Amino acid sequence: MSKFLGQFTHHLIRYATWLPPLICFNNYVAQATFISGPSMYPFLNPQYHESLRQDLCLVYKMYAQQNLDRGMLVTFRNPDDPDKITVKRIVGLEGDMVRTKPPYPHEYFQVPEGHVWVAGDGDKSKDSNYYGPISIRLITGRITHILSPWNRAGRVRWWEHPVHLDGDVNAGSLGSR
Amino acid sequence: MSGRQFGGLLGDLLGHPFRTVIFAGKFLAFTHLFFEYGIQTAPAQGPSMLPTFELLGQWLVVSRRHRFGRNVEVGDLVAYNIPVDENVGVKRILGLPGDYIMLDTPGRESQAMIQVPQGHCWIVGDNLAASRDSRYFGPVPLALIRGKVVATIKPFHFQWVEKNPFHRENRSPAI
Repeated sequence: MSKFLGQFTHHLIRYATWLPPLICFNNYVAQATFISGPSMYPFLNPQYHESLRQDLCLVYKMYAQQNLDRGMLVTFRNPDDPDKITVKRIVGLEGDMVRTKPPYPHEYFQVPEGHVWVAGDGDKSKDSNYYGPISIRLITGRITHILSPWNRAGRVRWWEHPVHLDGDVNAGSLGSR
Repeated sequence: MSGRQFGGLLGDLLGHPFRTVIFAGKFLAFTHLFFEYGIQTAPAQGPSMLPTFELLGQWLVVSRRHRFGRNVEVGDLVAYNIPVDENVGVKRILGLPGDYIMLDTPGRESQAMIQVPQGHCWIVGDNLAASRDSRYFGPVPLALIRGKVVATIKPFHFQWVEKNPFHRENRSPAI
């Protein structure tokens, strides 16, 4: 029995020593995360009204705050609640004139330096239209792949979204570049 | 000289470069996490926090336990990611969510006040004349706070940060 315990403890410690590197990988390279909420409907969680299933996505965390562009799906710390990580789409870059949606008080808004305008694809979304532009330094990663369910799994082709293609007015950004 | 002559960890690593690299990686990751979630020290410079901090050459000890504004109170010194910049700043918190705060410097014509929005804080430097703070870029999301400054280190001199001047028991009777 004692030999079993000895070997068990030895192996337990051996596997436990892999935790710091794995935690570092999750924090700085990439992490898989479930998406909760309907704010990115129908791109993410299209089954929101029919099932409790949540989409599983890959968040790529390297160089998260660099080379941002309209149409990208980014994760960021919520300016309303610092303990929450939120997923939204970048609709306006700094300098862009964005067309806002209610409840934002002004119809048009120019995104200030160092900030981006984010919006959810769905109707029910607490995004920049609610809390204004977010500082780029809040951004923690970008969604690069959908991992589950299988029929929608694959690379997130953010560059094919209308907001990126032509600064589509209806999608929110008039662009300036 | 072979590993068999040594016991324990050293015996496992000597002569096995691959194992050594893995061990070093694990150790580095552990150490990194220890500092990331515990205590960090960094040099500070600039006039915006005079006379609390010196212009140059002083190191600040930041507690990561207070990252994202956890357990932070009005009057605390915090290190934060500057919202419009790439740098880290250090300022004092004057308003937490829900507090009413004066927008401009006292003594100016404008007496306008706002209420600090949910999830944000209002930070101001101790040297009002030489500080770019919330009076310039508005309320700062609590998520940008890196931690609370708990102590400072000047050459050969470690000192805990003074008690919070806004706490009732620390106020002088005149206030």
